[in-house]
Amino acid sequence: MNTHLHNYTHTQQSRLADYCRTGDPPKIDGLTENRVHHYRRLIHGVIDDTLQSAFPLTCDLLSQEEWYGVVDAFLSNYKCQSTSIWKMPSEFYRFVEETGLEIKEKYIFLEDLLNFEWTEVEIYMMPDIAYPESKTDGGWLSEVIAVNPEYKILQLNYPVHLKNPKGITENDRGEYYVLLFREKESGKVRFMNLSVYFSWLIEKVEIENTPLIKILKEAAQVFGVNEKALFENTLPFLEELKANKFIPGFYI
Amino acid sequence: MERNKHVGIGFRKDFAEEFLEGKDLTPAFLEVAPENWMEIGGYWKKVFNKIAAQYPIYTHGLSLSIGTPDELDWDFLKKVKYFLNEHNVQIYSEHLSYSKCDNAHLYDLLPIPFRWDAVKHISQRIKSVQDFLERKIAIEIVSYYTPVAAEMSEVEFISSIVKEADCNLLLDVNNIYVNAFNHNYDSKEFIEKLPLDKVEYIHMAGHEQVAPDLIIDTHGEPIIDPVYELFEFTAHKLPKTVPVLLERDFNIPELNELQYELNRLENICTKAWDYEHSLA
Repeated sequence: MNTHLHNYTHTQQSRLADYCRTGDPPKIDGLTENRVHHYRRLIHGVIDDTLQSAFPLTCDLLSQEEWYGVVDAFLSNYKCQSTSIWKMPSEFYRFVEETGLEIKEKYIFLEDLLNFEWTEVEIYMMPDIAYPESKTDGGWLSEVIAVNPEYKILQLNYPVHLKNPKGITENDRGEYYVLLFREKESGKVRFMNLSVYFSWLIEKVEIENTPLIKILKEAAQVFGVNEKALFENTLPFLEELKANKFIPGFYI
Repeated sequence: MERNKHVGIGFRKDFAEEFLEGKDLTPAFLEVAPENWMEIGGYWKKVFNKIAAQYPIYTHGLSLSIGTPDELDWDFLKKVKYFLNEHNVQIYSEHLSYSKCDNAHLYDLLPIPFRWDAVKHISQRIKSVQDFLERKIAIEIVSYYTPVAAEMSEVEFISSIVKEADCNLLLDVNNIYVNAFNHNYDSKEFIEKLPLDKVEYIHMAGHEQVAPDLIIDTHGEPIIDPVYELFEFTAHKLPKTVPVLLERDFNIPELNELQYELNRLENICTKAWDYEHSLA
């Protein structure tokens, strides 16, 4: 700990910071009371702008009062740790996920929506990951398929990636998988709805470094379908992933 | 068009193409906040690498929070150091304020109490940062809207820190104007009392008057004439030439308006420095 700063000075600084987060009237010596609100206003503005930019769908979904209510609750109760402000929305998502907010009862899919929106930002901004060395052409069954390493698969309870959030109801509850990945050349983030089987398959292909034929044998057991039917079902999906540049080709 | 010699501008994503083309804006250098550009990839990383290959990069940090009672964030500093070295950054500046307290980042600049124990505390922290980064940092005099438990003058506070920490000073001329207006002192007298030999960098910006007795440092308006005049006064007082930055973060005008401001600042620099130095 520092050896120079007195408790008195520390306390004055803490009170100002606390006021900015909570709005509780500050007891600070020498303060110009009719000006201090500008600090809270400015901080609230920075947080709000950043969150609106990261969560446009959520912001559009909630009424203004609801949005400001949850942003204010976040600022008051959550201690942000991100030194880079663009990462701060991930903490907002975590806050909503971990906190018993009333608004989550009205918007039962709110956590999924925040998760989806944040993941899009995260994938767009994440540090580059080296692609595996690959060739464009190869045999789907016999060779090891290379995948774009800059991706994430989300498991969601509501189809926030498929439907306008305003139209999602409890009847939509289910098990949804969505692949989000960054295109190497453009840097744009794309997403695709997946079945549970395709979600399983992508992760197997990436993790196991094994020819597809071996993975299909395991899949046939896991999903109770014969290999031939699986392959016929899988091939168009793989071709689509290749066309979408999620699969750059085959390991060299 | 030929690039400016002294005056740079803050890098904005909106103008990335124009910066790369170098036609409509001709800054001498670009300034970025390291926090916005470190540990990223994808499209903006590629753009930033091109920008950094084309322009000198100066940095103005946001999250060091040098004035906080909290511990220094060494993980963060490691990332900053890596970034500064990766892009051959010439200046690392930060705010003489605090933006984190009691383990919570606030993402804005709070005023530090002008107190002797704070001088000692902050000076020690600046020394630690400089030792770690293996370079001097330039600390910026921030605009502030209320004092907090002050026991000494602002200029005494700043000068004492610069002396004790042996760091450089980022002189934001608009901030001095704003503070002089808000706290009713003479901006020129204030500048004359500063350790001007330590000034390594100058910032210039616009502001917004929100009440008869209060100006907010918004970076959202053009620089006003009195701030240009204060800059000219300052430039003549400095013992050496330093880079000058035009800050504009909001309410962005047409590029030709920004270029006009760059040129006007450049003309003042040329008159104050190039001409005087050629006579010396």
